Amino acid sequence: MSAGTLPGLGGKGQQSQDFELNITSIIDTFTVLITFMLASASFLSIGLLDAGITAGGESASAAQPPSVNVEISLAKDQGIIVKLTGKVTQTLTVPAKDGKWDFDGLSHNLAGVKSRFTDVTSATLVAENTIEYKEIIRAMEMTRKTLPYVLLGGF
Amino acid sequence: MARLSPFKGKHHQSEEMALQITSMADIFVIILVFLLKSYATGATVSPAAGMTLPQAQAGDQSVEAVKVEVTRDAVQVDGLPVVKLKDFAFEATDVQQNGVSTALSKALELQRKRQVQIAQANSSVKVDARILVMSDQKTPYSTLKSVLASAATNGYTDFKLAVVRGD
Repeated sequence: MSAGTLPGLGGKGQQSQDFELNITSIIDTFTVLITFMLASASFLSIGLLDAGITAGGESASAAQPPSVNVEISLAKDQGIIVKLTGKVTQTLTVPAKDGKWDFDGLSHNLAGVKSRFTDVTSATLVAENTIEYKEIIRAMEMTRKTLPYVLLGGF
Repeated sequence: MARLSPFKGKHHQSEEMALQITSMADIFVIILVFLLKSYATGATVSPAAGMTLPQAQAGDQSVEAVKVEVTRDAVQVDGLPVVKLKDFAFEATDVQQNGVSTALSKALELQRKRQVQIAQANSSVKVDARILVMSDQKTPYSTLKSVLASAATNGYTDFKLAVVRGD
């Protein structure tokens, strides 16, 4: 690295004022820092989903119950059943689509429920024992788009 | 620098060599800034070896809470294995009729007692109902229910389910 002759500094001699900055030690420091940070860095972005359960707890909640309770059941045949109880008793079925869970259909049904009963903010999610955790999470994720509070049930 | 070259030349030109490392320093600065920005401070959550977390859209808030990890072979509480699993399943003798795992419940009870003791000694610390659950994506719901039931019976009712943030 070099710099030109500095103006305004008159000198009698014609000595060159070029200089070289020694950045070797800085490079060494950077190398050590980068190595340490690369070794200890985590490139996995972890997020957290809030969940409650329908059983347990130290004290009873004083919250006013909604006009309808929504229960979502994941079945082994990859069908989804949405049960409404309370002011209205109704069962909505979301069958499997191409052999897979139809979570878009679930979301559509829940949007319909939400438009009819605006005070509903939570749903209980129940699944058969063999259903894998990733499917539970998918169902939770889709439910949360319409009903932000998801409780896990079936205890 | 002493003259190293064995080659004989007519002229006595200087053979000092200056390595141009300015651009390298620039690259290092950029990498360092990027790493410092993405470096997580505070409570970091990392899954156990061999565990694959499910993917979902979720907030990135970090919590200081008791951590329960469910893998194919064991359930760990704060990094210590407390229950052995056989292909994600609890042993039948360990699970009570209400679905609570005896061994896991005992470990969580210990954690709870510790929290209560700290809260009694320090008024600024409150007993926390939060629990961080990190479970493999293939965990069956029956196992998850046992874990959650064991936690709930010991006062941990605010579950934080860890996922890999996706699109």
